[in-house]
Amino acid sequence: MNDLRDRIVVQVDGQIKTGRDVVIAALLGGEEFGFATAPLVVSGCVMMRVCHLDTCPVGVATQNPELRARFSGKPEFVETFFEYIAEEVRELLAELGYRTLQEAVGQVENLDVSDANRHWKAAGLDLSPILHVPNLPEGAARYNTTGQDHGLHKALDQELITACAESLDAGTPVRISRPIGNQNRTVGTMLGHELTKRHGADGLPDNTIQIDFVGEAGNSFGAFVPKGITLRLEGDANDYVGKGLSGGRLAVFPSPRAPFVPDDNIIAGNVVLYGATSGEAYIRGRVGERFCVRNSGATAVVEGVGDHGCEYMTGGQVAILGSTGRNFGAGMSGGVAYVLDVDDEFRNRVNLEMVDLEELEPDDEQVLMAMVRSHFVETGSGVAERLLESWNASLTRFVKVMPRDYKRVLLAHARALDEGTDPIAAVMEASNG
Amino acid sequence: MGDPRGFLKFDREVPTRRPVPVRLRDWREVYEPFPTDSLQVQASRCMDCGIPFCTSGCPLGNIIPDWNDLVYRDRWEEAVERLHATNNFPEFTGRLCPAPCEGACVAGINTDPITIKQIELTIIEHAFEMGWVRPIMATSSQERPWPSSAPAPLVWRRRSS
Repeated sequence: MNDLRDRIVVQVDGQIKTGRDVVIAALLGGEEFGFATAPLVVSGCVMMRVCHLDTCPVGVATQNPELRARFSGKPEFVETFFEYIAEEVRELLAELGYRTLQEAVGQVENLDVSDANRHWKAAGLDLSPILHVPNLPEGAARYNTTGQDHGLHKALDQELITACAESLDAGTPVRISRPIGNQNRTVGTMLGHELTKRHGADGLPDNTIQIDFVGEAGNSFGAFVPKGITLRLEGDANDYVGKGLSGGRLAVFPSPRAPFVPDDNIIAGNVVLYGATSGEAYIRGRVGERFCVRNSGATAVVEGVGDHGCEYMTGGQVAILGSTGRNFGAGMSGGVAYVLDVDDEFRNRVNLEMVDLEELEPDDEQVLMAMVRSHFVETGSGVAERLLESWNASLTRFVKVMPRDYKRVLLAHARALDEGTDPIAAVMEASNG
Repeated sequence: MGDPRGFLKFDREVPTRRPVPVRLRDWREVYEPFPTDSLQVQASRCMDCGIPFCTSGCPLGNIIPDWNDLVYRDRWEEAVERLHATNNFPEFTGRLCPAPCEGACVAGINTDPITIKQIELTIIEHAFEMGWVRPIMATSSQERPWPSSAPAPLVWRRRSS
């Protein structure tokens, strides 16, 4: 054996409904147990299987206020359910002669499968592989006894937190610079955590903490960074830049001494801004696949993306000042994307299942101009500069990608505000088609 | 399943009873006739549950969501076929059954259940009117001398023919 068992936690899931299920799962080696359907039913689900239709009659799988009013569940129901589960687990453990659940983990020799195997449906099954007891040295752990050292004390963020201590406490502006290497992963996240702990979800005013990095960032540069923090990176970055961005500002741009043309080169990896909720990101160069997937509110400017750009996006604004890969806007239900149609081929690369291509309206032109300006200011982008030089001509080359249903809801909302009727009711009406 | 949002748009409605002094004077139906379009609105309230508790609430296992939907869509001949698939005498059960299906109806958890019994009765009455219910003649080999007038021989005859 590799002697890793004491450092990992095994989770088990699937059809776990009773204390007996838990004990069987533990004997098979599991130590964390996933319950889904059972507590859902306890809290009121009647398994209508209409979760996708927004008609859940018991108000579980819906955000419609009219249906949610029908929800009768209470947290106490789930609490009581798990008390019963725990009670049954305790009884079964007592029968087996164990004092704690940990003692039972991995004691697979306690399972008697002969009854189960007698059933004709199970008769052909050979269960011996999952009932195998590895050859363990005396006293070897069968469950998680120690932790894994993630080396967090060596993270670059520890240094950033110390350097920005005063700003974190008092909100005074600070600007520092640091070198960065690809061993530095998730840079900015722990710093952001400290800021959010002190100042809550609203964070601090933009640009309170500014950090300039030089080098190659590891995975997840600027992930979850909150409002008040601006990270600028001269160099390039790996995947997941700005993952879950929560109000912070990010800029990535190549060194002015770089010999290549920034517009044509990839500067950051895949799934940039995955699940971002707010904030801004300016990227001087191209990025990989699935740019802005599940973005729900961030503003982003980039100079070209790979396949599946803006996939499943639900909010926010994106400007793409270069070519895109195929399947752009798949499952995009919200937000807006402005794409510079560099070769008049964008129409063939967009997935039109949920979005329409439109011309820009005066409001869009304002928004887009502000985005391109900020991009130029933050990154010194040559593309942005050229576009701004002849802005009116540039505008004609942009295409607006607008989700169809989202537009209908926005229009209904605007109309309700104009007419002084209830905007929420109008949105509900429009979204129900 | 009728209209997915039917149960949100419409309330339960059942036929009214004729006044007692009038009822006492004849042997006709207790209830006033119920307009067909209102009944179809009632059928649209059915939610086509993933797990239709009405079906398990019904001692016959009637496939209720199916014919609710067929009534909503004006497909009465198919509706009576689905009804007869599990129920030999909806003309009786539609009047006399205490309707445990409606007690089991998921809509009834927090609103009023679907008017299943009324829909059932209307399907079979409509079928009689249209001449879709015809006698099923027994062959001589199927004759069985049951001693009573209980429904058993009727059910047996219907099922074996």
